[in-house]
Amino acid sequence: MKYVIIIGCSKTGKVLAEDLSATENVVVVDRSLKVLDSLREDFNGKKIWADALDINTIEQAGTKEADAVFLLTGNDNLNLVMGKVIKRKYEVEKVVLQVSDSLKKRIFSEEGLTIVNRTYLISEVLKKCI
Amino acid sequence: MYIVIAGAGRLGLVLAKKLKEDKHQVCIIDKNETLCNRLARELNGMLIIYGDATYPDILKEAKIEKADVCVSAASSDEDNIIICYLAKELFGVKRTVARVNDPKHIPLYKYMKVDNPVDSTSIIARVVEEEASFTDVVNLFSIKKGRLSIVRVDIPEDSPVANKVLKDIKLPPNSVLVSILRGPDIIIPYGSTVILPGDEVIAATLINLEKNLTKKLIGKI
Repeated sequence: MKYVIIIGCSKTGKVLAEDLSATENVVVVDRSLKVLDSLREDFNGKKIWADALDINTIEQAGTKEADAVFLLTGNDNLNLVMGKVIKRKYEVEKVVLQVSDSLKKRIFSEEGLTIVNRTYLISEVLKKCI
Repeated sequence: MYIVIAGAGRLGLVLAKKLKEDKHQVCIIDKNETLCNRLARELNGMLIIYGDATYPDILKEAKIEKADVCVSAASSDEDNIIICYLAKELFGVKRTVARVNDPKHIPLYKYMKVDNPVDSTSIIARVVEEEASFTDVVNLFSIKKGRLSIVRVDIPEDSPVANKVLKDIKLPPNSVLVSILRGPDIIIPYGSTVILPGDEVIAATLINLEKNLTKKLIGKI
């Protein structure tokens, strides 16, 4: 069982959390109680209601022990800042973040930091449909 | 100097005007279009750029690579951190200064190598706390963002140091008496100087040790 932290739990984060919690040890973090409550009944993980832009929250989520951290808040800059900090300070093996701007994706890419761009992914899938 | 300021809120604007008065070249970036249009009309001799400064192309438009300092004064801490990070890492700006909106975000500024995160909330809290404390200690001025204070202490009748020779008084570490004001006289203290009730003592101390110094000179806090 892997220890996975998901920060930002609307849309993508929600689907990922619900899926992964069936097989992995999942912690979700979101600043909205409504979003956390909207997780499916069978979500089998821990919920943390807190501001993600905060070292204390990251500590509370047990980042030190995490195998992977996903940053999926809708805020590119927050995802980037926390992604870098988590990588540097906690040496988590896999840090994955969603960034909608492709230039920022290029600039901030570094080893061990996987930056996912939704538009790019969808266009790749679309290309394969031809 | 050439200074780029991201964020034309109250702080950004006051700073920009001040720097302009001091003959620096200033560029302001803000993501509010209406505000930028107004500023472009009202402020002469300043470059105003409308756009999101967390995007490298906007910073480039501001010619940030030529800047001596980048000041990020946006109201969102993640934006300030990214702006300073890009200015430094991508454009080689030597000095980055940012306004910290929430003190609990300071560690993040440090991890992301912002040179000078200015925590206005804590600075103001410290000043207000000092102004609101009812002691015989008056803070004359502070250096290094309030960490070193020059204080004036009025020595009361019942002071534990009254009528004592200076060399017999053990001051807390990192505190020093600068001078003694006695009536019209200004005394530069030596080991043999005696402190009298009614003296006004001018002392320099680190802010966190101010209470120790007060306790020593007045006997209470």
